[in-house]
Amino acid sequence: MRWGMLINLEKCVGCNSCAVKCEQEHFLPPGVLWGRLLFSETGVYPRATKHVYPVLCNHCKEAKCVDACPTRATQRREDGIVWIDSNKCVGCRYCLVACPFQVRTYYSKELEYYPGQGLTEFEKLGKKLYPHQIGTVLKCNFCMERIDAGMALGLKPGIDREATPACVNICPAKARYFGDLDDPDSEISILIRKWRAVQFHPEYGTDTSIYYVMG
Amino acid sequence: MIQTRPYEFMASYTPQREWIEKRGALLWFAFFFIELGAGTFMVSSIFGSLPGMLVGWLICALLGGGFHLIFLGKPLRFWRMVFSSGWKTSWISRGLIFVILFLASGLAHMGLTLWSNPLTFLLIATNIFAFLTVIYGGFAMNTVNGIPLWNTALLPILYVVSGLWGGAELTLGIYLTQGKIVAGIPVEEAIRILLIGFVLLIPVYLISVRYTSQAGKASVKYMVLRKWSLLFWIVVVILGMVVPMTVVIYSFIVGLEASPLVILYAAIIFGLLGDLSMRYLILRCGLYSPLIPTSG
Repeated sequence: MRWGMLINLEKCVGCNSCAVKCEQEHFLPPGVLWGRLLFSETGVYPRATKHVYPVLCNHCKEAKCVDACPTRATQRREDGIVWIDSNKCVGCRYCLVACPFQVRTYYSKELEYYPGQGLTEFEKLGKKLYPHQIGTVLKCNFCMERIDAGMALGLKPGIDREATPACVNICPAKARYFGDLDDPDSEISILIRKWRAVQFHPEYGTDTSIYYVMG
Repeated sequence: MIQTRPYEFMASYTPQREWIEKRGALLWFAFFFIELGAGTFMVSSIFGSLPGMLVGWLICALLGGGFHLIFLGKPLRFWRMVFSSGWKTSWISRGLIFVILFLASGLAHMGLTLWSNPLTFLLIATNIFAFLTVIYGGFAMNTVNGIPLWNTALLPILYVVSGLWGGAELTLGIYLTQGKIVAGIPVEEAIRILLIGFVLLIPVYLISVRYTSQAGKASVKYMVLRKWSLLFWIVVVILGMVVPMTVVIYSFIVGLEASPLVILYAAIIFGLLGDLSMRYLILRCGLYSPLIPTSG
């Protein structure tokens, strides 16, 4: 089993819902983004085109960050999810430098969403429910808590919302698909073949678990 | 030009920041002092200078180790880098182990030299650990394949040569301070060889990176033609290479013992400054390839 995601760039409208939902789901502090949108332009006026690329941790099969981590804080689970055990992270940021996709963030200092006005109730709740450690590196974990909890209830990630990453659920354009890349009959595997989806920078040899249908 | 704005992040060439900006600059000093200290120990031990070994050991332990620890987000957890199985794949973990082994065996060797008889096998082991200490930073960076400026086999070689060259300069400086400069002093020969190696290696390194990829080309341009070109040409090339080379040629002609002390000290200081600046530029100009297509 290897969890993966397919993002159809032809459908993505660049609304940032995925990034905002991720912030909410994981109580991310200001300045920390597990998922983000990259924008670029090609061509020149009047034939200029704007492109939107949602990016997140690629949960690479041959993850550079896992090899780089000196304390084994960054680990790869059997289901392919690459996650960080914050209690082991020493904050050397070698993983961050080693990641060719630059999808990790170093949590250097505590910030408030409304500077000088104290923490909001939401932020206070986050500190209890989903504490992040200052001085460690943070990144997308494919909502592994949702996946684990859902699977414990017999639900299927990618099909049942309760077991599916929040960014997939929230996408209003239905541009994201989640499922088992190792199962050739899963919806995601079928769509990857059908739409000829591609990985970013295959030349790095990391075998990413995020596939894109190029717009 | 490559001052990335938020909407340009990974949409154009994006410089790495974590290991050079803000607290990241501590790692720049950490790598420099670790390698300079270990290099000084190696050169001093080859030429039998106990004060040189002590200075190298102290630079490595206090400055190199100190900067490394301050840089970490969770310094009290540093022991995890040694006792986890991270050493199997991580050069940072391996590096810390090399540094600890070097410092422990170096201390034992200096103690035996001072109060008893030094053991040859311990000296050999210490120098092996010192060599690994000098080279590990190069390997740690060399394995980052997202940054073509670092992802070259020449980087560890460059770091070894610059670490040993810095070590030889510092050893000479210690000899000068002790007033032990005599004709034909062996460290002078070492400096000549290492300086020539350093001066030849820099252009070979940059030219090789220039032709690896577009990001490699952009990195080299960033360093030698764009934003950081003044630092490169004035501090690295003129002060760090041309001045020491001129002094080396001068001292070769008139003899080291006949060379004015102020010139020799200046060459040492400028040489170390050039080395430090080159390391800064390597960290600062490491650019990632864009993730997404753009017409720029």
